Amino acid sequence: MIGFENVRKEYPGGTLAVEDFSLEIASHESVVLVGTSGSGKTTLMRMINRMVDPTSGRITIDGDDVASLDPVRLRRSVGYVMQASGLLPHRTVLDNITTVPVLRGISKRDARTRAHELMETVGLEAALAVRYPAQLSGGQQQRVGVARGLAADPNILLMDEPFGAVDPIVRGELQQELMHLQRDLKKTIVFVTHDIDEAFLIGDRVVILRPGCVVAQIGTPQEILADPADDFVASFVGADRGTRSLHVERVDGRDIVVDADGRAAGVLTAHAAARSGPAGETPS
Amino acid sequence: MSAAAGTTRHAPRAAHRRATHSATQVLFDAPGPKGRRRIALLSVLSAAVILGLLAAGLWQFQKNGQLDPAKWVVYLRVDYLAFLGRGLLGTLQVTAVAAVVAFPFGLLLALARLSRFGALSSVATVWIEFFRGIPMLLVVYAFLLALPAYGVTFPRFWMLVIPMILVSAATTAEVFRAGIKAVDRGQHEAASAIGLGRRDALVHVILPQAVRLVLPSLILALVTLLKDSTLGYVVSYNELQFQGKTMVSITRYLVQTYVVVSVIYIALNFLLTRIALALDARMKARAVAS
Repeated sequence: MIGFENVRKEYPGGTLAVEDFSLEIASHESVVLVGTSGSGKTTLMRMINRMVDPTSGRITIDGDDVASLDPVRLRRSVGYVMQASGLLPHRTVLDNITTVPVLRGISKRDARTRAHELMETVGLEAALAVRYPAQLSGGQQQRVGVARGLAADPNILLMDEPFGAVDPIVRGELQQELMHLQRDLKKTIVFVTHDIDEAFLIGDRVVILRPGCVVAQIGTPQEILADPADDFVASFVGADRGTRSLHVERVDGRDIVVDADGRAAGVLTAHAAARSGPAGETPS
Repeated sequence: MSAAAGTTRHAPRAAHRRATHSATQVLFDAPGPKGRRRIALLSVLSAAVILGLLAAGLWQFQKNGQLDPAKWVVYLRVDYLAFLGRGLLGTLQVTAVAAVVAFPFGLLLALARLSRFGALSSVATVWIEFFRGIPMLLVVYAFLLALPAYGVTFPRFWMLVIPMILVSAATTAEVFRAGIKAVDRGQHEAASAIGLGRRDALVHVILPQAVRLVLPSLILALVTLLKDSTLGYVVSYNELQFQGKTMVSITRYLVQTYVVVSVIYIALNFLLTRIALALDARMKARAVAS
């Protein structure tokens, strides 16, 4: 469990990055911090592994104030996946993945065995182990980044716009695989992105931030879509653009889902209709 | 004119050449189209001038009998070659010892200059600027003349090598410092995010990349060291040039001796540049800055 309690961050010179932020993240939950650039979402996430220290307030992991923990040890126990993977260019894929476990004192042989397993987990061919990061595609680099983040088997995984630098098709694949991984691994994930679609896809809960790190709304994707807190949220999630306000039209005996502009978004299948039926009725 | 046209025709392959062939471009940026045209023109002009001077010089030598084969074939004699070979060995020894000590020392100086501790950083800065600014000859004189006056004497070898180390370490310190600063900022962040402390980050992440970035410049520093070793004549250390000087005083073949000695220096430095090129190509394959 991760807790933010009245966290405030002011940079020297008076820039206020975070005014007053509180949030509890349950274990095994994935929470996505989403907002435009300058909303302080990355700053918030970096407070968890003490890359940034708050000016006031506190952050706890399982009840322990992170300020009381040694930053280096803390960072080794928390997985971190960053944009453009942040791999070490002078080290092979295998060495990149084993860096943290070896620093934690695990034998090289054990670390390598585990690294090979992880490569399989994240969908990397074993032959890539001896390659250097520059010899991999963007998607493969990002997979190595995820494998490295998981190498020390952390309970918490911090992901800083990890799929921001790859093309949309690869991004889609990576997102699907992350969700697949999460079903098996059940990590506590804090994920930062500016892509609301990605946020809704990955987050059990989504935190929408305004500039200045003010919380606009916290909730499940369903809650946010069903009831945007205000115009900012509605505009941010695209509810006012019509791409999210879908309705059903009957064409040739089938239910076609159509957006506000009349463009077909998909077909309503019997299975989906049956599932959404009761859920749609309960609130009313 | 035809030479200029030839250069233009090769222009599209410049990028390819840069990656694989040209030795000079390990050390310099490739010029643009205008620059290339200007360079082509100047190359033709200067080639003409140089060839003219060379022809004039050879003509003079010919007139004075310097091109007499008898004055050249002696350099194929075993004892002549052995004499110069001893000088070559001396040059290589001095250069190797100076480099082996100066480069790590330079790295330490760079780290000291970048240190968070103000006092250490200031001392390193003053040290570096002092030895970078002073002509090496003065340092050699200090070891040859000044220190012995206070009873501090060194063997000839060290009277040459220590000044080389002091001066070279100061210049390479700046090379290393530039390399360390050139490592992508993201690498510092990545290192700290995955839980590397300052020292681990420096040893495992920053330095390996910095050293790779500056390798070509280090080879250049090695070439400079090799040439600086010619100051050995000041302390009468038997390096290649001093051996050449001694040889001249015996044989009186001034022109021939120095031509042979120069050819040896040029060949050595050419070899070093080729090594720089090979290293650079190998690093490009791994792509240091991805």
